Amino acid sequence: MSGAPVLEVQDLHVWFDLGQGRELHPVQGAGITLDRGERMGLVGESGCGKTTVSLALMGLLPPNASVAGRVLLDGEDILAGGEETLRPHRWNDIAMVFQGAMNAFNPVKRIGDQICEAMELHAVARGRAAETRCGELLELVGIRAERARRFPHEFSGGMRQRAAIAMALACNPRVLLADEPTTALDVMVQAQILQLLQQISDDLGLAIVLITHDLPIVAQTCQTASVMYAGRIVEVGPTVALHDAPRHPYTRMLFAATPDLAGTAGVVSIPGAPPRLDRELAGCPFAPRCDSTFATCTERLPRLLPVGDDHLAACHLAAGHLAGRPA
Amino acid sequence: MSANRVRDNAVFAALRGSPQAVFGGTVLAIVVLIAVLASWIAPYGEHQRVGEVFAHPSTSHWLGLDDGGFDMLTLMMYGARVSLIVGFAAALVAMVIGGAVGIVAGFFGGKIDTLLMRLTDYFLAIPDVPLMIVVAAIWGRSLRNIILIIGAIYWTSTARVVRAQVKSVRERGYIRRTRVIGASNTRLIMRHVLPQVAPLLVATGVLMVAYAIFAETAIAFLGLGDPSAVSWGLLIENAFSRDAVTVGAWWAIVPPGIAVAIVVVSLTMLGTAIEDALNPRLRVSHVSVRRFRLRPIPPPREDA
Amino acid sequence: MRSSEYVVRRIAFAIATIFVAATLNFVIFRAAPGDATTALRCLSCTTEVRAQVRQELGLDKSKFQQYLIYLKDLAHGDFGRSFQNRQPVLPQLWQPLKNTLPMLMLGTLFSIFFGLITGIVAAWRRGTLVEKGSVWIGLAFFSLPTQWLGIMFILYLAGPLGLPTNGISDPYLAYSHPGLWAELTDRLSHMVLPSLTLGLVLYGEYTLITRSALLETFGEDYVLTARAKGLTTWQIVRRHALRNSLLPITTLIFLSLGFVAAGSILIEAVFNYPGIGLLAYQSVFQKDYPMLQGAFLVITSSIVIANLIADLLYVRLDPRIVE
Repeated sequence: MSGAPVLEVQDLHVWFDLGQGRELHPVQGAGITLDRGERMGLVGESGCGKTTVSLALMGLLPPNASVAGRVLLDGEDILAGGEETLRPHRWNDIAMVFQGAMNAFNPVKRIGDQICEAMELHAVARGRAAETRCGELLELVGIRAERARRFPHEFSGGMRQRAAIAMALACNPRVLLADEPTTALDVMVQAQILQLLQQISDDLGLAIVLITHDLPIVAQTCQTASVMYAGRIVEVGPTVALHDAPRHPYTRMLFAATPDLAGTAGVVSIPGAPPRLDRELAGCPFAPRCDSTFATCTERLPRLLPVGDDHLAACHLAAGHLAGRPA
Repeated sequence: MSANRVRDNAVFAALRGSPQAVFGGTVLAIVVLIAVLASWIAPYGEHQRVGEVFAHPSTSHWLGLDDGGFDMLTLMMYGARVSLIVGFAAALVAMVIGGAVGIVAGFFGGKIDTLLMRLTDYFLAIPDVPLMIVVAAIWGRSLRNIILIIGAIYWTSTARVVRAQVKSVRERGYIRRTRVIGASNTRLIMRHVLPQVAPLLVATGVLMVAYAIFAETAIAFLGLGDPSAVSWGLLIENAFSRDAVTVGAWWAIVPPGIAVAIVVVSLTMLGTAIEDALNPRLRVSHVSVRRFRLRPIPPPREDA
Repeated sequence: MRSSEYVVRRIAFAIATIFVAATLNFVIFRAAPGDATTALRCLSCTTEVRAQVRQELGLDKSKFQQYLIYLKDLAHGDFGRSFQNRQPVLPQLWQPLKNTLPMLMLGTLFSIFFGLITGIVAAWRRGTLVEKGSVWIGLAFFSLPTQWLGIMFILYLAGPLGLPTNGISDPYLAYSHPGLWAELTDRLSHMVLPSLTLGLVLYGEYTLITRSALLETFGEDYVLTARAKGLTTWQIVRRHALRNSLLPITTLIFLSLGFVAAGSILIEAVFNYPGIGLLAYQSVFQKDYPMLQGAFLVITSSIVIANLIADLLYVRLDPRIVE
């Protein structure tokens, strides 16, 4: 994990045009820095914008969407030209495993054909060579190569997830976006998938963004974590730091809300609901649900500022502590 | 406001915004208006012989004269009446039968459901127009019979749709709770199930009118229509069998066909629009000709 | 469910449907006002003759007995005798059926081919004028009365294209001792306009069906995945959406065969084409009820069998329904 970051996202904004003059702003200036081989968890409640971020990076947003920002892949801004500059990198350099990968496969085509399709499309391999490589990819994710001839419905949920990962790796991408890769899978299979992701990241030097609302798996698998709220990154840093010493109240409450198997701490839920994204709000978006607010919180938007080693938080309280006094 | 009222308001709002619904509804309204006001706005009498057989269109007779020397424009207006009446009445019959069957099957389930659905399947499998022809041939050519025949054969699709809806409604909590309180089945059906199902019935009914008008033209063309009720279908039949084609009297044939098409298209558009408004399927599509747009990065907020 | 079980159930349903149709035939006829003798226009019949005819037709037995006899006769291929020519009905149904089938197939093939193309283009170019135009045209053709369309062709197309508009062949052709080729072209030329009429009406429906089925697939997750992999819109349509839509499209096309039955009657009436539809039409006019019932049963059975084939085909094509 040295050298320049393989992926750097700066000031990413996404708007959705809802017609009749209304507009949704689900991503408001998000940023990501990812090194080679780094695994980062992107966490937040449903609807906080994390999936939208991944779709924006892949250029898969619907036609009523507008995007702003810089997406630097090894230094090159691939968002600058919109679809034109994104397309060559799609799947080649940035690949994605979608939420509910059970349905990512076309039910009437064989798994192997669909994996080979990706390779042929990007001229990675053709015909025989593609089939061989497809077999290798399947073996890599723990599926016997001859299963490529099967149809998706003949695979279990976990196997389909692994096949989806194999398909994502078909063109040797530099970055893998994994959106909720373990939801709807049972615990045993979850563990297998997470271990697989860890393994390919270490072995192939693949950078992974693990998008999820499930904190424990981030703690298990990722070196860094980014917490998203209302379309913004509110805290980012090493997972250990976020767990042991969270600087943003939301991060703290998220960790506290996760049931502890030992049952020592009571389960705390976060009261209230996330804010609407169709209008500008004054001050910190988390203020209505925060337990540590003071005057500035409802007046000024907190900026993402360093609060420790490679650790940033967007919170007036955290910033105040740094300066030694409340802001 | 009850849930039903909220839903109805939402549906009307959706319809007002849908160009298909507006277009279909407007055209339909115009045609209905013409049909209703026919006696007043028609240039000549319905049974008034005004000139030569198959006379050409002229300034006094915009659509010429038909095979009996009657004014085509007048006949078209009166024809609207008959065609629309047959259409709506037959659709009503189909809706009543289909709705009843669907509600009973969906609500009671079990053996009754299986039996009724089996029956429906058979009716669906048998081609409709040939069956109508057989029945019409044997049972006579009155308008009432035609309406009953069309209605009795088209109830099947309504029944299916209604049954599916009733099944989903029946599973809702408030039905079960009301039943626990001791409400009778009839009361449950009338007060709770029917209002839920009614909009869907209306949507299907609109489409049913289109089918019925279409079926009427077919029946009339095969000589099974009511000879005293001049519908558009009968106009086509008269013209054809009295050799309008040989004479080249296109004005006796073209207008009725186009009129039927216009009404059927409008009804279809309106019906599908109502259906879509009731089931707003989030037509997500990952395929599009257009792409997302790029915008410049907005400047940082002043209050940050 | 196991496919063999499905096949058996489906065939049983088809047989049951034909049985129901036959029963309907019986019920409708026997429940008619008056009985067969009044329908025979036997105005000058004396009472004895009437009684004799009634006995001959078996009308003196109970309704249920008549039903059983009716079923037994049907099973033996006895469809009764035509009122018109007093000959057995069933043998008279074959030639008309053989005349109708090529005309229907030509028209259906035409409509499927062009309907598929237009539907695909409409879905591929969704949101553009091309799509809206295709939908409108499809809707328009679907809404025009079939017989009217046929008449329009007679009025405006037959002359300029030099196509015949009546019957199945030129009655005077035989006198010039034509070769096989001339006979074939003569037959084909008589089929063109009827087939075209049928084709255009069905084309409207198939365009809408195809477009609809394709649009349904556009929201599926695997389409998003395909786009993520880098496929262009056209590639998605051709490689993914089309294959998945083929199943519902096939079923829907077969389901519309009921319409074909209706259409063929109207079209043959307009073009005086001697097929099974014209036979049904004429027997209505002539009040030849046994013939009408025979034609109805044949038409219905054909549709039921065609639907059966469609469902069985579906089982074969969909890899999800597998033992």
